[in-house]
Order: sequence, then structure tokens, then C-alpha cells
Amino acid sequence: MLELRGIGKRFPGVMALEDISLSFEPGRIHAVVGENGAGKSTLIKVITGIVAPDAGEVFHEGERLTFRDYRDSLARGIDVVNQEIQVVPESTVAENIMLDKLVTRGRTGIVDWKAVRRVARTYLDMVGLAVPPDTVIKDLGAAQKQLVQIAKALAADARVLLLDEPTSSLTNHESANLFRILRGLRDKGQTIIFVSHKFEEVFALCDTVSVLRDGRLVGTRPIAGLTPPELVRMMIGRDIADAPLGRLDAECGREMLRADHIVRRGKVEDVSFTLYQGEILGLYGLVGAGRTELARCLIGEDRIDAGTVFVRGERAAPRSVAESLERHGVGYVTENRKEEGLLLASPVRTNVTITVWPRLVRRLTRAISRAKELAVTGDMIRALDIRTTGPEQRTEDLSGGNQQKVSISKWLAAECDILIIDEPTVGVDVGAKEQIHRLIWDLAKTGGKAILLISSDMPEIVRLASRILVFRDHRVVGEVADVGDRTRGYADISAAIGRYLQ
Amino acid sequence: MATRTTTDRGRGGPGAGRRERISGRTMGLVISTAVLFTILALRSSSFLSGYTMFVISRQMAFYALIALSQAFCLVVGQMSLAVGAIGSITTVVLGLGLETWGLPAWLAVAIALGVGVLAGLVNGLIITRLRIDSFIVTLSMMFLFMGLRSGISGGSPYKVPDSFTVVGQKSYLGVPDVFLLVVVLLGLVGFMFRDTVFGRRMLATGGNATAARLSGIKTEAMVVWAHILSGAFAALAAVLWASKLGSAAPETGDDWLIISFAVAIIGGTGLNGGIISALGVFMGSAIFMLIKHGLVEVKANPYYANSFLGLLILLAIVVDRVREIYSHRQKAR
Repeated sequence: MLELRGIGKRFPGVMALEDISLSFEPGRIHAVVGENGAGKSTLIKVITGIVAPDAGEVFHEGERLTFRDYRDSLARGIDVVNQEIQVVPESTVAENIMLDKLVTRGRTGIVDWKAVRRVARTYLDMVGLAVPPDTVIKDLGAAQKQLVQIAKALAADARVLLLDEPTSSLTNHESANLFRILRGLRDKGQTIIFVSHKFEEVFALCDTVSVLRDGRLVGTRPIAGLTPPELVRMMIGRDIADAPLGRLDAECGREMLRADHIVRRGKVEDVSFTLYQGEILGLYGLVGAGRTELARCLIGEDRIDAGTVFVRGERAAPRSVAESLERHGVGYVTENRKEEGLLLASPVRTNVTITVWPRLVRRLTRAISRAKELAVTGDMIRALDIRTTGPEQRTEDLSGGNQQKVSISKWLAAECDILIIDEPTVGVDVGAKEQIHRLIWDLAKTGGKAILLISSDMPEIVRLASRILVFRDHRVVGEVADVGDRTRGYADISAAIGRYLQ
Repeated sequence: MATRTTTDRGRGGPGAGRRERISGRTMGLVISTAVLFTILALRSSSFLSGYTMFVISRQMAFYALIALSQAFCLVVGQMSLAVGAIGSITTVVLGLGLETWGLPAWLAVAIALGVGVLAGLVNGLIITRLRIDSFIVTLSMMFLFMGLRSGISGGSPYKVPDSFTVVGQKSYLGVPDVFLLVVVLLGLVGFMFRDTVFGRRMLATGGNATAARLSGIKTEAMVVWAHILSGAFAALAAVLWASKLGSAAPETGDDWLIISFAVAIIGGTGLNGGIISALGVFMGSAIFMLIKHGLVEVKANPYYANSFLGLLILLAIVVDRVREIYSHRQKAR
């Protein structure tokens, strides 16, 4: 049994975890759920020893753990199967599974590959993966890689298996298969911790659920006897997610962006759509389904192999983001704001004005006017309610939600009227999520912006979008049209999306 | 809390262009320079003489130019191992122009500078078009240029006309012309990075190339420009050096590679891109010069000179790293 007692962890500006006491029992699948920013990731890091808690203790089978690093937790039999799949892509399946303990001939230090393959085979059988042990990892699909990870954990004799958002890149069918294997392992007495924000999965798979919210444990309940609305209430705590945003009528304005049979080989297959002024067109699908890849084609970051893009009715073939910004007024709010969206070490001012520097130049000296720069930044800070100590604060020191607002603001400063917004609320806390939803909705409703919203968060996309295009395997597999008039309920729309994904 | 604020501002970062004109990092350099200067002045009575000052300030100006040549690349997240080699090939072309072809000085200088720009352009284009790491490209180009200069010149220096030595050897009110020129250039470079769109875009490219590109900056063009500027400054340093020397010596630039990194790094130029300070580079060249001078003063064995250089660079990086760790600690609290 793995037991947490009074775990607390503080990060600059936030209480990531506060007084968490939890126990994970063998032979049970124990879900840990919570919204983005609720403290799930930190909790995982504490359990696996990546982060040392400021308060509290972790016990495993009655013994107090003093995790110093990741290897320690492996030695204690706790293994993580991550959402970012951690396998060595150039090595074989057998090597990956046996990475920690390659079988050697006697004490020579020479690896006995035959034995390695044989042992690996037994673990592959345990997870029901029918590939030869010599297969190179990079030739496997996401689901298969995941199973390799689980096999690896089993090979390492992990007594606690921790799965962190394991289904984010799996199809429904693959997820179902994974669940079957997990149930099998549970029945053999394995302790399984299942971290997710999709409560459909929690109900389908788990025995117990613990809910985190704002770094605190809201409660631990057996799944039997719990209803989805009750769980949602525990997760969100308030009813904000249900606050209606009002109608957004699709196809009310003029045509802003049209994609005509766009193809980028291996990434995007024959995608067509039209985006109108004042609407939010949602692109729903799994990670890697081709939505971000499509966006990158639209803004000129990646080449299009076939098909045409029209901006305001005119043929456009941007070859760079610079061109799509300057000529077409198309802005792209990136999926990973920290890696791709922001200059983290720079002040807020720089990140807000980066798209408009040429407009702020004084005629005589060619110098950027500091006054104008501060004025633009100040306007954006007020308009988007960015919580910052001022224009000179380092962007890195802002919270996730405020960073996201900065990331959006640079396109508003540039007066882009076509915005592609990619996963806007990943890693953003609950309150800020609501603010960003309202911001995006307002941009379309009162700002008249045409917005392409990419999201894997079903409630989010149903709430915001006028129409939803469903992506699977690099193509559009369906469209749910009448979302924006708010006549259909969430269950109805999500079921419709689900049918396209089958 | 007060220290933390200064440290944060001091780090500045890409496109910082902060209101505070002098960062904490640069302030440290100013203080170090002042301390070194005082020690040397107290140790030796001849140090403050007009002649010593003249020689030191002129040499320092060359270090600053060479460092800038490297710093332009560093600031966009690149490096150039070809800094010295470009200086070298430029010198040879200059010598060819002045002695062999008998061109007027202005034309020979223009051609020499053009060669530097062209060399940088080629580096930049290969790196961006073919997506090859700057290390390997400039390494190859370094050897290419080195071979060319030896092949063309045969190793012997070219004569330059007396009129050509005007800039390199003269002074204005006791201050070497070269030094004045470099101070003006540093001022322009500082202005460029702080206040111009071009400079800001270079900083942003170095700070996070992906984010910069996805924010509508043509980062590849910025990288090419960085190498062009790098080549131009190396060529300028080479031309001035020939003017100072009174001959175009092919071995010019042989020791520039290490100097360029040392002075740029001591001057606080970020190794990962996005951070540069013109004043820092100036102070870096002063510190470098003063330490070199000091080693001669204390009669250090010149055979160990390279070891001191290596230690100095390492010290500069360690100080910077410690400062960074310290500022993170502050934040974690």
C-alpha cells in the first residue's frame, strides 16, 4: 500500500499541494482527477520523487520513503507511464523493456540478447502486445508505445503503476484495449494510480477516485454510487463551467478564411472548411489528429503539398508567419506557450509588442518609441485583465493563465481579425480558464474576430464553438453544425462527436 | 527582495531594452574594471602615462571589435568559429589590393570589407538554407579561409602605403582614433539592440527562435544578418589592424577566435542567445586588456598565457552561472 500523509508543496506564488493524505491500495485502480492546475502533476512528482514535498511523508508498504531522485522511486517499485511517452525511439522493444536490467552472460558484462528477447516476450504477453521484441520503437504507434512502457514497468517489478493521462493520444478502441489490460493487472493485485481529467474514463475504469482542486484534496470516494454530475461538482467546485455564454450564430458574417482541400503529406489529408467573421469554429480531435498540423500550414509555418487557402476570399499562400501576419492579418496562438509562444525571459512589454514594433517607430530616429510601447502594453494589460506587476515584469513569472493572455494579446495588438487559437487552457487554473473562455467568446461576439479554436477539451469546445469539425487520422471525419445556437445539450453534442470518432 | 529585483532586471533577457540603462551584470563589470585599473595604477608609476594609456586603449578597441563580431552571432543563438579566419582573409585581400593591384586605399578597404560581408553572408546562408549547425559550418569555413589566405599570400606580409596608417596610428587629443571609432560603434550597437526593430528582432530570435518565428519574425533572415554583421566587424578589425601595424600581415586573426569568445563572454553576452550589452562588451575588453597588461607587469611566464586565458573565460561563465542559480533560488522562496 502506498500512503501519503499530509503532503504539502509550495511553489513561488502558488500553493501547489496542501495537506494531502491519501492511500492507494493493491488490487484497485485509483483515479486522481482534477482540473488543469489542480495539483495532479505536482502530486505525481511527489510520488515519483521528482519533487520533494515541503511537508508530509510518503509511506510504501509501511516504510517511510525519502525519495532523492527518480531512480530511488524505481527501486521502491513505483513506475510512471507518462503522457509524454518515455521510450528510446531508436532502440528495440526488447531493449526498452529490459533497459534497466539487461541480462548478461555470467559476470562477463556481455549482454545475452537471446535471454533479453525471451524475458521481454513474457512481459509483452502480459500486456497483450503482439509485436516481435526486435521491432524498433519508432515504428510503433502511440498505443503500442504505451503498452511497451507498461511492460517496462512490469519488468522493473513495479508494484505501483502510475499512469498520467495515458489516453491523450489513443483512439477509443486503443483506450478500451489499454483499460482491459489494466483491469487484468488490477485483478492480479497491482496497485494502479490513474491520473486523468476525463471523467468518462474514470467511470469506465476505476474503483476509487480522489479529487484535487486548487491543491487540496476534495475527497476520496468509491466509484460505485457516484454520479458524473457529483464528480464534476467535486472537481470544479463552482458552477462556473455551466455559466452560459449566449448564442454565437454561425455563418452570420462574411467569409474570412477558407481552406480548400489542404494536404500536407502524412499530417493533413484533404481538409476543407470555411471560417466566417464573428464565429468560433472548433477543431476537435486527439493529439496528433492533424489539427495543429493544419494550423501550421494555414499560417505558413509548414508547406502545403496540395490545396489552397483563401483569406477574405483572396487566394493566399503565406510562406512564413511574418507574411500571414503582415499581409493577411492572421494570428496563431501556439499550443505550447512556454516553448513556442513566449520569450519567457523577456518582460511582458516585449511579448505584447513583438508583432507591432515597426508601427511604434519614431520617424526621425527609427527608434521604437518607449512611450508608445508602454501605451500598447498598458492597453492590453487592461483589456485582457492581465495580472502583472507591470509591463516590465518577466513573463516567466506570470501564472499560466496570464501568460496565455499575453500570448493572445500580441495578435490583438497587431489587430489580427483571424485568430487560430490552439489549446488555450492547457495548464491554466480554473478561474483563469473561465476568463480565457470569456475572452475568446467576446473576441468573436463583440470583436467580430473569426476564430479557429483547436481543443481536445470537449466541454471547452462545446461551450465556445459555433460549429465543430471532428478530426481523426489527419482528416475531418465529421461536422457538428448547430452548436452555437445553444439549443442542444452537452450530452447530445458530445455523443454526436463521439459517433464521428468511432 | 531588493537584490532580487536588481538581479532580475540585470538579466534583462531578449528584447529587454529596459529603461535602466545599466544592468546589475554590467555594473559588476564596471566595478571589476575600476578595481583592476586602480591596482595597476598603484603598482606601476608608468601605467598612468599617456603612452601606456594610448597603447592600452587602442588594443582594447580591437578586442571590442573582435568580441562584437562574435557577439552578433551569440546573440541570435549561433556562434562563429570563422571570426579570425575572416579577419585573416580580409587582411590578405586588403594587401593584394594595396600592394599587388595598386588600388587607391579607399577602394582596397571597400573590397576588403566586402569580402568580410560576403564571408558572413555565405556562412549565414549555408546555416539557414541547409539547416546545418553554425558550429560545423563556421568550422569548415575557418579552415577554408585559413587555407586560402596561406595559399594566396604565401605567408609573407603585404606593404601598405604610409597614407593608409592614418586611422590606425593617429589620435585625437591623445585618444587613439581607433578607440574613438569603436566607442561610437558600440554606442550604435547599443542603440540598435535597445531601440530598433532590427535589434529587437535579433534579440528575440536568440531568446527563443521558435517563439520569435511564430510571432512573425523572419528568424532565418536575422541569423543571416547576424553572420553578415559578424563578418563585417571582423573585416573592419582586420583593416584597422593593418592600418595600425603598417602592413597587411596574413597571420592577423590567428588568435582572434579565443579572444572573441573570451571578451564577449566576460562582457556578459549570453551564450544561449538573446542577451547582449554594448557597455558590457566595452568593459569586457577593458578587463581583458588590463589582465593581459597586469600579467606582463608581474612578469608572469608568457608560456602560461593561454592557461590564464582559459581560466578567465571559465571564471566569467562560472560567475554568470552562479548569479543565475542565485536569482532562481531567490525566486523559489
